[in-house]
Amino acid sequence: MANAVIMPRQGQSVESCIITEWKKNVGDTVKKGDILFSYETDKSSFDEAAEVEGTLLKIFAEAGDEVPCLDTVCIIGAEGEDISSLIPAGAESKNEKPETEKESKQEEPKTTTVVSAPEATGEVKSGERLKISPRARALVIKTNADLSFVSPTGPDGRIIERDIQAALDAGHTVSALVSENQLAGKIEKPTEKAETPAVFTTAPTSAPAPVSDYTDEKMTQIRKVISRSMHTSLTELAQLTLNTSFDASALVALRAKLKANGEALGLANITYNDMILFAVAKTLATGKYKALNANLIDNGETMRYFNGVHLGVAVDTDRGLMVPTVFDSQKLTLNDLAKTTKTLITDCQSGKVNPDVLRGASFTVSNIGPTGIESFTPVINPPQTAILGVCSLTKRVKEKDGAPVFYPCIPLSLTIDHRAVDGAPAAKFLSDLVKNLESFDLLLTK
Amino acid sequence: MPKSQYVDPNRVFDPGYIRFDDIPVCRYSLTLNDEKKLYSKEDLVRIYHDMATIREFETMLNEIKTKSVYNGVEYNNPGPAHLSLGQEASAVGQAYCLDNNDFTFGSHRSHGEIIAKGLSSIKKLSNDELYEIMKTFLDGNILKVVEGKEEVKGDVKDLAEDFLLYGALAEIFARRTGFNRGLGGSMHAFFIPFGIYPNNAIVGGSAAIALGAALFKRSNHKPGIVVANCGDGALGRGPVLEALNMSSMDQIRELWGEGGGMPILFNVFNNFYGMGGQTKGETMGWGHAARVGAGVNPDQMHAEACNGYDPLAVIDATTKQKDRLLRGEGPAMLEVITYRTTGHSPSDSSTYRTAEEIEAWKNADPIKAFRTKLILGGIATEAELDEIHDTIVRRMTKICRMAVDETISPRMDLTKEPDAISSIMLSNKKVPSMDTTREPEVLIPKEENPRLKSLKVKSRWAYDEKGEKLPKMKVYGLRDGLFEPILDKFYEDPTLIAYGEDNRDWGGAFAVYRGLTEALPYHRFFNAPISESAIVGSAVGYAMAGGRAIVELMYADFIGCAGDEIFNQLSKWQSMSAGILKMPVILRVSVGNKYGAQHSQDWTALCAHIPGLKVVFPATPYDAKGLMTEALNGTDPVIFFESQRIYDIGEQFHKGGVPETPYEITIGEPDVKREGKDVTILSIGATLYRALDAAKILSDKYGVEAEVIDARSIVPFDYSKVIESVKKTGRIIITGDACERNSVMRDMASNITELAFDYLDAPPTVVGSRNWITPCKELDPFFFPQADTIVDAVNDRLIPLKGHVSTHNFTDVEKIDRAKKGI
Repeated sequence: MANAVIMPRQGQSVESCIITEWKKNVGDTVKKGDILFSYETDKSSFDEAAEVEGTLLKIFAEAGDEVPCLDTVCIIGAEGEDISSLIPAGAESKNEKPETEKESKQEEPKTTTVVSAPEATGEVKSGERLKISPRARALVIKTNADLSFVSPTGPDGRIIERDIQAALDAGHTVSALVSENQLAGKIEKPTEKAETPAVFTTAPTSAPAPVSDYTDEKMTQIRKVISRSMHTSLTELAQLTLNTSFDASALVALRAKLKANGEALGLANITYNDMILFAVAKTLATGKYKALNANLIDNGETMRYFNGVHLGVAVDTDRGLMVPTVFDSQKLTLNDLAKTTKTLITDCQSGKVNPDVLRGASFTVSNIGPTGIESFTPVINPPQTAILGVCSLTKRVKEKDGAPVFYPCIPLSLTIDHRAVDGAPAAKFLSDLVKNLESFDLLLTK
Repeated sequence: MPKSQYVDPNRVFDPGYIRFDDIPVCRYSLTLNDEKKLYSKEDLVRIYHDMATIREFETMLNEIKTKSVYNGVEYNNPGPAHLSLGQEASAVGQAYCLDNNDFTFGSHRSHGEIIAKGLSSIKKLSNDELYEIMKTFLDGNILKVVEGKEEVKGDVKDLAEDFLLYGALAEIFARRTGFNRGLGGSMHAFFIPFGIYPNNAIVGGSAAIALGAALFKRSNHKPGIVVANCGDGALGRGPVLEALNMSSMDQIRELWGEGGGMPILFNVFNNFYGMGGQTKGETMGWGHAARVGAGVNPDQMHAEACNGYDPLAVIDATTKQKDRLLRGEGPAMLEVITYRTTGHSPSDSSTYRTAEEIEAWKNADPIKAFRTKLILGGIATEAELDEIHDTIVRRMTKICRMAVDETISPRMDLTKEPDAISSIMLSNKKVPSMDTTREPEVLIPKEENPRLKSLKVKSRWAYDEKGEKLPKMKVYGLRDGLFEPILDKFYEDPTLIAYGEDNRDWGGAFAVYRGLTEALPYHRFFNAPISESAIVGSAVGYAMAGGRAIVELMYADFIGCAGDEIFNQLSKWQSMSAGILKMPVILRVSVGNKYGAQHSQDWTALCAHIPGLKVVFPATPYDAKGLMTEALNGTDPVIFFESQRIYDIGEQFHKGGVPETPYEITIGEPDVKREGKDVTILSIGATLYRALDAAKILSDKYGVEAEVIDARSIVPFDYSKVIESVKKTGRIIITGDACERNSVMRDMASNITELAFDYLDAPPTVVGSRNWITPCKELDPFFFPQADTIVDAVNDRLIPLKGHVSTHNFTDVEKIDRAKKGI
């Protein structure tokens, strides 16, 4: 009767062995105790001796092959005997690579990780010790990121680096002084004040309080940005406003021509605002008023002068004030400027504006439009040094050749940061701007 | 067990008896007339002189300790002084028989032995040899102090006596002009040029170390014998019994070829007290120390007891033992019966013995008795001996005055030289061969090594050309990365030896040494008894004597069995010798994982805690080879941690695989195994592969890219790469298989916190094993850190991963609770 010879298990940790040498060949007669083959584990080498007599009928592994422990290595029996029952399944194809290493090298379908916003794990509360990682704290100190906009996403409500980065990405920064206060735990959130008005805490006992009809609504994110930014502007800058006006006859005449023929010529719908923006760009591009086309940065210690005129254009939207930037506006023709501005305004109103164009302005123009307003105090968007307010077009009277005549007038209000620039050069700028606007035809030909 | 030694079932059960010969006790019986034939007057007077010198030296120390003044020299010595007043004849008798080639090792009570051996060497060395030794030792610093102040100008022996006494006393007073710059002190003084090897403050600490020095002589065919001195109390110490046993291994005479038995004399100064415990009648049961030696081997270690109060009886007994050792009949044991008449130390008021007993022994004073013998025997006159005594007192007063003088004997100035001790904690030398004058003894040419041949067909890179992982059997593994440099070094350094449990024939429990048996003779590569203390202790002595050794403890858990030898001996002798000794010893230990609580522990923290050791833990074949090569070329003790999980792992990181040619990896440099930007994982040892699995999960499931750094070394450790990584990622997990509490990981976490505080976005978090016993293999995932443990720690402690639910508890509450419960 034939016998199968299996690969012995040499110790618990051994899963397979390598056959190093066959001492017998198929067809050889084998006596009890004859060495059939040598094999080795990673630790040691062994000889396998025959335990039965007979003829070596079949082998299932060559020298150099790795054989899993307890698998059949060869069969000893009588010549011509039926050994089919001893042949292990699949053994005929013995030349195939042994499948001992189950590790598959198939490229696993790589799950593309959708990195969505991490969930908040806590809340920043004013007056409480700020729970913030040293790394995040260092980043705040470096960037003055506004902690009132930060939602902690670290373990146990800790503010970690990514939370600060998120606030910075959304453009939330404060002044160094405010930042210091925030790090000390004094984080003022506008909503908190509204929620806890101290005056309502003690209700009068004698008469029932009149029922007030009101609705509390949380400030929207954009409202919070505006709030912070405007508050910072007015508390930290030295703002001074100069008022003037100009005769818009040239603009009115041009606009009338454009209305009649512009579309046919392929020109955009060019508004008064576009024309004013154009005049501002050209006036600032002269380089004579570089302190107005600048940012005051580094805690009020450094002036950054811009070579191009990056005009911020204030846009009123349903969600609040937005100020997209027309970069290098001085290089654009009036027509192109009008087109660019139009696109930006539409984007802002529809909410698909690219956040990158919401910063980087060197000067802002805020047009209050046809509202009848004749004068106002524009608020500078720091770190810019000036903002031009454009009021409504009105009819005014002036003396011409001894007789009063009506003319179209647009008042202008220029607010400057007195820390960056004095009143005289600002007045000179306004005067130049007025000249350019009043002889707009000439400006166009320049 | 070598196959050549057949255990025959037909013979081992034969009836019979184990027979003992009588153990001689104080059988010395020569008369003065016999002695006059053996010794000249000069010899006998010198014996008197040497004993009297020791007596005066220790009297001076006793006066200084108890009265703060000796012959008008005032000094307060806060350090220890364990005196051997009464034992002078024992020390001088022994040293009389020893040459400069013979080494002595001793105990905390060895001032007498140092002076006796030193005086013996001064007598036996030529003037030129003596002067050369004094001139070169520690750049002649000690010579400069004593030269010109000798009694007889131009007498080198006289000068050398001053040199010896001053060097020893300055060492006892911790002066930088001492034999070891004051870093050894009273209990550890030694002077190798005179064959005086370290004395040891750990009772019995010298036995295994002395055995190692004898092993050096035996394996490298060096002349001379080694004497391991200890007190009777040391016979209660396991390491001493281990050393007795290991020195008697049958293989030394049966299998080691020419040279015979181990040339070591275990010399027990039996003064009847182990501190205050009475060894005879109270704390031990052998009655005579010699009885212990008699049971160790069929030669009974030639054990006998002699009268330690008669220097000539000691000389007689010691000479007989030395002759036996030189004939190859070692090891031997001698019990020298003696008595100390002062306390264990000056603060010991001897409450455990009667004043009557002390008085009786003082009356039996060996020096007085010998003096009387010389005078009555007509060998020397009273005046001659008085003159000798006066000279000794003058010399001692002079030496003492110099040693207490801060201007000529300053202490180490750590204000001016803040790095004086730092610079000698490790020697950091590169010495590829400890003896370049001779060829290493080997059995076959290196190229014919069967293991090397089988490695030729293995892949030195873990993957095939298609990038598929090759079966482990076909790959050059981590164990091969250890074997290759060791084999190379055996063919380069003739002093290199390797031993441990089951090293030969079996090839080591984890097959690292497979292929060494065929290559090396027994005396370079052998199986040690299961005696971890003796294995490590002997390696220490082997290195002290000038050799290089690799010893193996099999499981890292057995470090505990060799605690003193690793923590107090291996680690300290380089610095305690002020850098004179080098310690090129590699101690291999292997961390297990499936054999339960006493065979699965990573004890890197224990070793890293001890100053003076280097500690490495490679996890890849490339790193294993590079670190082993560096360790083997160095002169420092290196605890080489290995992991049984990964002996067969192939090289997956070093492009091109493991080079065949030798290369070094600087001990202390961690290695970035995977780059990433979001979180750093610093891994120690085999945990590396689980850390990489964790990195894959973090990347695939959460888009978090982990940088995985393999520590590779633990001491020394260069933090710069880790800090650089943390500056980038802001977060770090430190992981390893050690129990988390007080681990190396904790130490690293603390250092990283200090070094990168402002860059941290989360506290450095340790993911170690639980503070439990290691449970069975099947419960591994609950104990050792796994990939998911690491991911959970990232989520819970560093950066919440969207949608991840942790299964391990990393909360503060849990941490506090565990600490409170001590788990």
